[in-house]
Amino acid sequence: MAWQDYTHDMQRCTRCSYCKWIPYRYMRDTGFMEGCPSVSRYLWHAYSASGKFNMAYSLLQKRIEIDDIFLDVLYKCQMDGSCDISCKVQQDIEPLQLMQELRIKCVEDGQLVPAHMIVIDGLRKEDNMMQSKKQDRGRWVEGLGVKDFTSTTAEVIYHAGCRYSFDRDLWPVARGGLQLLLDAGVDVGVMGVEETCCGGRAYELGYAGELTKYAEHQIETFRTTSARTLVTPCSDCYACFKVLYDKIGKKPDIEVLHITHYLERLIKEGKLRLKKKVPIKVTYHDPCHLGRLGEPWVHWQGKEYKVMGQMIVHDPPKKFRRGAGGVYETPRNIIKSIPGLDFVEMYRSKEYAWCCGAGGGVIDAYPDYAAWTGAGRLKEAEAVGAEAIVSACPWCKRNFLDAAGETGNKIEVLDIIELVQRAI
Amino acid sequence: MKLSNEEYKALEATVGPEYISQEPVIMDTYNQVWGNKFFFDEKHSVRPAAVLLPARPKEISEAVRVCNRYRILFKAFSSGFEYLSLSLMNSKSILFDLRRMNRIVEIDEKNMRAVVEPYVSVYRLQMEAAKKGLFTGRIGVGYSAGVIAAECCHHGCQHTMVFTSGYGRNVLGVEWVLPTGEILNVGTGEAGSDLFSADGPGFSLRGVLRGRTGANGGHGVITKASVKLYPWYGPKQWDHKKQPGEALSKGQLESVPDGYKVFVPTFQNLDDTLSASEDLCRAEILCAFGIAIVGTNPYSEGNDEDWAMMQKTAETRARDIDPAGGGVSIANSVVCVIGYQSPGEMEYKEKCLRKIAEQWGGTFYDNLNEPRALARAFADIMWSSGVNLRATGDFLPSSSSPDGSPEMLKRLALQEAEIKRRYEQAGAFLTLGSGARMVSWRPEEHLSIGAQGISTAQYDPYDPASLQAARKFINEIFDPRGQFNRYGVPSRGGCLQIEPVTHVHQNWGPRYDNYDMWLRKIKKMLDPNTVADWTAYIPPEYPDSPKDGDYVLPSYGKAEQL
Repeated sequence: MAWQDYTHDMQRCTRCSYCKWIPYRYMRDTGFMEGCPSVSRYLWHAYSASGKFNMAYSLLQKRIEIDDIFLDVLYKCQMDGSCDISCKVQQDIEPLQLMQELRIKCVEDGQLVPAHMIVIDGLRKEDNMMQSKKQDRGRWVEGLGVKDFTSTTAEVIYHAGCRYSFDRDLWPVARGGLQLLLDAGVDVGVMGVEETCCGGRAYELGYAGELTKYAEHQIETFRTTSARTLVTPCSDCYACFKVLYDKIGKKPDIEVLHITHYLERLIKEGKLRLKKKVPIKVTYHDPCHLGRLGEPWVHWQGKEYKVMGQMIVHDPPKKFRRGAGGVYETPRNIIKSIPGLDFVEMYRSKEYAWCCGAGGGVIDAYPDYAAWTGAGRLKEAEAVGAEAIVSACPWCKRNFLDAAGETGNKIEVLDIIELVQRAI
Repeated sequence: MKLSNEEYKALEATVGPEYISQEPVIMDTYNQVWGNKFFFDEKHSVRPAAVLLPARPKEISEAVRVCNRYRILFKAFSSGFEYLSLSLMNSKSILFDLRRMNRIVEIDEKNMRAVVEPYVSVYRLQMEAAKKGLFTGRIGVGYSAGVIAAECCHHGCQHTMVFTSGYGRNVLGVEWVLPTGEILNVGTGEAGSDLFSADGPGFSLRGVLRGRTGANGGHGVITKASVKLYPWYGPKQWDHKKQPGEALSKGQLESVPDGYKVFVPTFQNLDDTLSASEDLCRAEILCAFGIAIVGTNPYSEGNDEDWAMMQKTAETRARDIDPAGGGVSIANSVVCVIGYQSPGEMEYKEKCLRKIAEQWGGTFYDNLNEPRALARAFADIMWSSGVNLRATGDFLPSSSSPDGSPEMLKRLALQEAEIKRRYEQAGAFLTLGSGARMVSWRPEEHLSIGAQGISTAQYDPYDPASLQAARKFINEIFDPRGQFNRYGVPSRGGCLQIEPVTHVHQNWGPRYDNYDMWLRKIKKMLDPNTVADWTAYIPPEYPDSPKDGDYVLPSYGKAEQL
């Protein structure tokens, strides 16, 4: 659907401001009730999802034009989907999809964010979002002696993703995840230097063509291997393979799992035994792309009609994505199965978790805002008494590390892979 | 209209360059609110020339002085979920978005009051007050709405008024930036003391501040308010829970919290329901009171799920809604919440409630009184669950809404229900069934000072026929020919109309003691330069609008064009 196709939604945004908060029923602490980092940081109503509906409607009516302010408002947003979830507690409208389509329109119109142009230029040249050389892609795995799909085959593809492939600080996590699979006897391999970006982040920036290009490439690559399963430790990649490819009609013919799915499976099968006590109080941060944005895509085509006089319904009934189908329990089950560990939830969790701050191109274009957002989450983790914040995505880990560095926060930042490693 | 460079610079100097904007992209997000389509034929109302984000009263005071100097209209708002709070008379206007003023300054447990800034939401105050065993009244429009907006500026009615009274009666004192820029502290017993005493001798400044329906921004900016709190009998914290995989809207309390009990009696007809309601409210046993048709229903995720549920239960629903069907008349069921501090108190109140229900032929049906239904009703009626605009896109709390005697309200409610039924039968509004006459009655202070009646009509503002019907309906409810024989100024949903459109005061002032002359005098005294936007208050002079006899016809669709 194009952005204009959301006219109904633009008209029906009531300005209730629920998009700015987590749903009231789940508010637990008055210090942590906000849901939208963008409007919390930049204050003007335009920065909320409601504001985006308003902007789009004004654009449609030619009351405003896309200018630098429009781009600033549209892109100082992590596309984390918190607004979408809160809005849909009361409304049948699609804030996140509208924002996505507005970004696509901006790119199509040549209205670009300079920092993103550099990233996309790198992607087009080097197949990654990290402005790094393609030839360095497989270096993170050197020395592990793992199968490489360029020369052999395996049952499972371990897709590290751009961040893990090029962020040296995070290489131990990417390697750790792979080692856990190897130690459990999984027949796993990597694409090595031939691994490419999934295209998901580029799509979020509005570069829809890049998603199609990489989806087609990946599907072709998967087809040429005999692998049955793709496992990724990156939540962004997971959501892209699982949700976005399906959204654009390019669902891969391969089982797509996040590493937490696979680790939980191995634990249940007794192939991974968490025996060592890890006496630490941890909280879990739901990565947006594994949680609410990891909910499977729901295809719908139909029309609106009215019943009971004026109630607006759909034929066939439309199942809105309200976040409930994200991956929430799997990582928690893993964490809770670690002996000696004290697990505590933050005030905002699962569907209504506060974003780490990295998503939607914010870490590339507005690093100070990314750090501000991440610092807010670290503060919340501290408020519930956690000694460590655990996530399941390299973008979250990177941004939390940066935020901790900037704010002097001493909380330990862990990926779930590291926690599992400690328990073995 | 763009401000001149000189005007903009003068305003900028009051809050700093980071906290003022005149960018069209930003401005056009401050003039799109539900309800606008009804008044202006467009979702957009007048675009402000600039929006300011002040953090302190002094900044507002200085900006208001600039407005006086350059004759710029101004209005302030907190959450902005109210079309009145963003409506402006012309585009040489500014808005104060008060979201940076968001502190709960104090919760005074001993004296049962709280002092808050404008961006403190009702639900946030409820959460904090509960920790100290206190409660602030529910607000009808939702949990993001501000305490000050409700108590000091607008009119509305809700389900806990039976216990906590109406909004305006809970204001103890305020810090008030007058339209001249002066800062006035109303409610201080002496210089520098707390905002505590509501009124001293002489004219009621609290009454001037808001009266019954609020000045809706026409009197300046309230930057701090001291408001009454009431006992909270429940826990300090509570949890809504859902099962994994369920939508968030499914989350609910496991049960009615200790300290409260909920009862849902059902009566034979609307007449008996209203009579029983009167007795129940007068008995001074209730913490909250409302109709049951919404509160006790299971929450659904969206309209499609709602419709699926409706279809699945069509047969029983038709029977249940229509009293003639002989089933459980949900439409004639009411939710009654009692709070207690001791078993004895609970026993007394329950006994009293059951006796009254029995006197009016009430029945406690199991499906409406099972624990989860009662827990849902409790949450819905005690907190600020919000207005459901999902079904059709908009709603009209039609309301006669005068403070009035139970007898008059009962009569008006029945008349309104009949009118609404005509529109429902024509397919213009959402209809739950031919027998459903949803009249929600909001008694104040155990009916000691009257009550407000309301019958909600849900319409689609983007369906021309439905919109047209909504306007006709409101016009009928306004009762231009006085056929209802009511006393009190009609208002839409507890709010004054957009004055340049619906001419409320022009029509009703002469009928009721020329009250509009007083409003205008007060406005003139407080705002000699007419810079506080008056679109939702009183115009400096009445426009020469078309009339039907003496009745000034509404002028829909007149928002200033760009």
